Amino acid sequence: MRWLRFLLLCAAAATGFGAVSGTLDLEGKTVDPFAAAAKVRVFLFVRTDCPVSNRYAPELRRVSDEFASRGVVFSIVYADPSETAANIRRHMEEYSFPGAAIRDPAHLLVHRAKATITPEAAVFSATGQLLYHGRIDNRYVEIGKAMASPTRHDLEDAIAAALDGRPQPEASAPAVGCSLADVE
Amino acid sequence: MRGVLSFAALLAAAGLVNAAEVTFYKQISPIVYHSCAPCHRPGEAGPFPLLSYEDVKKHATQIAAVTKRRYMPPWLPEAGHGDFRDEQRLTDAQIRIITEWVQEGAAAGNPADEGPLPKFTLGWQLGTPDLVVQAQRPYALRADGPDEYWNFVLPLKLESTRWVKAIEIRPGNARAVHHANVLIDRSRSARMEEKTPGAGFPGMDLNIEADTFDPDSHFLFWKPGGIPWEEPDGMAWRADPSTDLVLNVHMQPTGKAELVQPSVGLYFTDHPGTTLPMLVQLEHDGALDIPAGAKDFLVSDDFTVPMDMDVLAVYPHAHYLGHVLEGYATLPDGSRKWLIRIPDWDVNWQAVYRYREPVFLPKGSVISMRFHYDNSDANLRNPNHPARRVRGGNQATDEMGHLWLQVLPRGSGDRRMELQEALMRHRLEKYPEDFSAHFNLGALELARGNTAEATAHLRAAVEARPDQPVALNTLGAALLTAGDAGDATGMFERALGVNAQYTNARYNLANALAEQQQWEQAAAQFRQVLSESPNDDGARNHLGEVLRLWGNDMAAAGRMEDAAAHYRESLRFRQDDAALHSDLGTVLARLGRFREAVPEFETAVRLDPNLETAKQNLQAARARLEQTGERGTVQ
Repeated sequence: MRWLRFLLLCAAAATGFGAVSGTLDLEGKTVDPFAAAAKVRVFLFVRTDCPVSNRYAPELRRVSDEFASRGVVFSIVYADPSETAANIRRHMEEYSFPGAAIRDPAHLLVHRAKATITPEAAVFSATGQLLYHGRIDNRYVEIGKAMASPTRHDLEDAIAAALDGRPQPEASAPAVGCSLADVE
Repeated sequence: MRGVLSFAALLAAAGLVNAAEVTFYKQISPIVYHSCAPCHRPGEAGPFPLLSYEDVKKHATQIAAVTKRRYMPPWLPEAGHGDFRDEQRLTDAQIRIITEWVQEGAAAGNPADEGPLPKFTLGWQLGTPDLVVQAQRPYALRADGPDEYWNFVLPLKLESTRWVKAIEIRPGNARAVHHANVLIDRSRSARMEEKTPGAGFPGMDLNIEADTFDPDSHFLFWKPGGIPWEEPDGMAWRADPSTDLVLNVHMQPTGKAELVQPSVGLYFTDHPGTTLPMLVQLEHDGALDIPAGAKDFLVSDDFTVPMDMDVLAVYPHAHYLGHVLEGYATLPDGSRKWLIRIPDWDVNWQAVYRYREPVFLPKGSVISMRFHYDNSDANLRNPNHPARRVRGGNQATDEMGHLWLQVLPRGSGDRRMELQEALMRHRLEKYPEDFSAHFNLGALELARGNTAEATAHLRAAVEARPDQPVALNTLGAALLTAGDAGDATGMFERALGVNAQYTNARYNLANALAEQQQWEQAAAQFRQVLSESPNDDGARNHLGEVLRLWGNDMAAAGRMEDAAAHYRESLRFRQDDAALHSDLGTVLARLGRFREAVPEFETAVRLDPNLETAKQNLQAARARLEQTGERGTVQ
């Protein structure tokens, strides 16, 4: 663990650019989540056992479909180190999550994206700069307390602003869901 | 050192500090296993298991947050406003210690400190049911979208009447089903809502029509983690071969497509229901017309109880705008007894609450319902943003306000009719032209034999809903009882015009036609009844009788062939009727068909050796048969 933390500090010291080591694909191979070319990169943090992030699967699929043709790359991030690749595959398939799955057992990407909750989104620029992190929309106010439909689409707004090179909209309320720190 | 230690011990004794660190195994696991694990285990509604330190650690932050705001375990009633069984409320001390544990890093502690693990039963909690009925088709719930409310019609298909002491609902998909209600449909009226048989139909609430006085008496309810309720001896409810159960299910999309195919298990008892409770409903749906933006809209109802009674259970119900829900009784001495108070209503966690001890209400007590609604945009649960005017109705975007009480009238005998009458008269005060009040009062007066009052109320009911087949049928029955078979026929025909499959109305129509000696039409209708319901003994008996009387008429008119044909058909339903065999023999003899007449007379005499006419006719027919020889008939 100390070794991984050391690597993270290195990555952070490199002013937000470059590879984050320790993120894996479902084969267990180290992957650089920032390697592939993308205009905008979106990481979506989920847990297989979080009913709130599960409930967001269709919305994440919708947002991904909306932006897929505009050079936006979506990845689903699983940060629970005890989660098996087989479980993640089944979860991705059952809920039709968009994009590729990334495992982040050491929470490197979690920290870089400043994510604390599932579901939470992080939007990075093509150069790896964190533009937005936080809730997907304002549907949930607390766990178990949700509106019939959201009135504010924070993630969509953030992606659109990133694509247009506009400044990010005001950060809204924090994401609602399950804790990432609990699966560190 | 010694001094410091004793000071710490003193503080610990005074409860000012914890003598020991809070650990999962010592202080947390007993709370979790008792209050969370019943739902949070495989196969049940909780979205993740909470059966070990590892399970709980993964959700520790969340657990601290949701217990602190008392979202979990779900328990809506305010403490001190009704003393309920199976209360799922955590104590303040329990909530504090969970928070503390999480703040201190959610330590495991020593596994040796852990008490015994809870033993849970998989599947049916009450053991294998005596009868399981499953929804004919699963409901396909979409991955996303608003909550859905669906009704499954479950025919019981019993061979004989049974007494049910308990039911258990298995949701068929615990993650998607939020709660479920079972209604007993004795007249199979809910089937009429289905587009095709077994298809089910949408709706958050539904009305069951009944054509006999058989008031709802039990709450048949399922919520996650609920312990199935077993009725005490004498409180069983009746299930008849023709009874349908209607399962009203509230489902929430989970993020993926789900199939929901619930089952209901029934547990029978040999002890019939002898203690007769009844469900009393307070409501004022007619006053539910909430302006857009109204923050505190009050709906109230007050019912004076006509007799001493005990309240056994309570079920408050509103949709998404309900906020503060109150039910209380004002006793004749002016004192107030709280029945329930829900300070922050959440339809997702609605439940039936059973009192630890029955709540006694003396005659003259006034039960009050005070429901407050929030139709502002600030109410996050408001299904309409921006807020719009909302009225009463069965859909999720409509609103509702019902306070149901299960009560047991005191005193001897069955006092439910008295209570029903008081309820319906109270309803007429609120809604003078109300269909259900007129219909129920009509049915009640009909059961009492007051046909004039019954007819008046039922006419008012039909006036209110001219196409309601059950009301048309019941009005027909009242008219027929009063001796007006002609008008009755018209009503039954109207009922059948609305629903041609309404077998009870067809049966009544056949009887009304028989009353008017319209044998041919009556027989045709009875035959149709039997094709729809082959084991209907009443229809079989009556068809036999109609055919016989029709045969008599034909015989009297000299149409012996027709008479013989009707008698023969009649015999299919009454093979052991000696007189009928004898009459058939007589008609055949008159036709000169002695070879056929003789065995009929023989059967008649065998069945009833004292039937003198048959004996004489048998001798005469045998004699004629000998004279006519092999030909057997004489023209």
